[in-house]
Amino acid sequence: MTSGRTEWASLSDQEVVLLARSGQEAAYRELIRRYERPVFALLFRMVRDRELAEDLAQETFVKALNAIDSYRPEFKFSSWIFKIGNNAAIDHLRRRELDTLSLDGSPHAETPEAMQATALQIGARQESPLDTVEAKELGGAIEAAIGALRPEYRSCILLRHVEGRPYEEIAEMLNLPLGTVKTYIHRARNELRQSLAHLKE
Amino acid sequence: MTRPSGPHFSPDEIDAWLAGTLALEWQQHLDRCQDCLEWARAEREIVDQVSALPLLSPAADFADRVMASVAVPDPFAIRSLQATRRRLFATRRSLAVAASVTILLLGSMAGSIAWTLANQDTLASLGGWLMIQGGQAAWLGLRGLASNVIEQPWYDGLRSLANHPVRLALASAMASLAYLGGVFTLRRLLALPTQQVAHAGM
Repeated sequence: MTSGRTEWASLSDQEVVLLARSGQEAAYRELIRRYERPVFALLFRMVRDRELAEDLAQETFVKALNAIDSYRPEFKFSSWIFKIGNNAAIDHLRRRELDTLSLDGSPHAETPEAMQATALQIGARQESPLDTVEAKELGGAIEAAIGALRPEYRSCILLRHVEGRPYEEIAEMLNLPLGTVKTYIHRARNELRQSLAHLKE
Repeated sequence: MTRPSGPHFSPDEIDAWLAGTLALEWQQHLDRCQDCLEWARAEREIVDQVSALPLLSPAADFADRVMASVAVPDPFAIRSLQATRRRLFATRRSLAVAASVTILLLGSMAGSIAWTLANQDTLASLGGWLMIQGGQAAWLGLRGLASNVIEQPWYDGLRSLANHPVRLALASAMASLAYLGGVFTLRRLLALPTQQVAHAGM
């Protein structure tokens, strides 16, 4: 087992992808092993819900691995998988934003009861034991400050300073101009500094 | 520490400072400028905190759940067929197109069979007419070929050879020997090398 792991470790992502394309299930598992933690961590910090982050991470890997033939080896596999994951998170956050836009309830509700049932309950949410665990996982002030950032800023700052990706790669992943990525990261750091200064006071 | 005149740090200089690649003149500026130094330190504090965030892990069965939904290609299957199958089932739209084409093909086949069964006499007469026309065309072609051969200058020589059975047998034997020699030479040329090639065992 250890020697098997060592053999995989000596292979580049591109080489593992080639083995996966040839039908080796172990190669698929190796790609998952390499990227499950960073992709999940990015998604968890993006959506701040463990179960949802796992679903999105699963969706990301299933989508990427089922389309492994369309992966172009001249690009980094990490960029590709982060790009798919980030798109899944941004799509989800946009959908959620649309769903929670109305404080008066769902626009699809037809009766007053349905409106009441779907209305956004500000401050009335009871914290479940699972939420408590998640709050501990993402409990630090810095985590809270990151959670309050705009999703685009959040992606950029996490990819830059947690994943250590260069600006150019982030720009390629997020389909943004390089200058925009730099601006987002600069603004994100500014907002984090202000949030944390506010918390300190 | 004073507040020097001239431009102060921009985010690019902050990034360079964080990466340890700040140019010397900006480093000298930083030594003199309290505002830029405070800003740079605050940025470093934020970056340090973000960089120190723990790497979170999904549930232990995550890989199994992913693999349950991944179609690992069969190494013995034809790749183009697999790719086609995956493309067909990739989106609802491609699936709808594939289903439409299948329905169209099966429908036209069923229609063709139904028409054939309902019009057997017409088909039989059409078949007979085609057979006659085909036979006539083939006969005409054969006659044309024969008359063309007869007109060739070597035809008389060939005919006289046929009139002497010994010479015919001799010519046939020489032609057979030449043919066999050609086949033997070709087999020798196309045979795989029996000697081990240097990289073959890797």
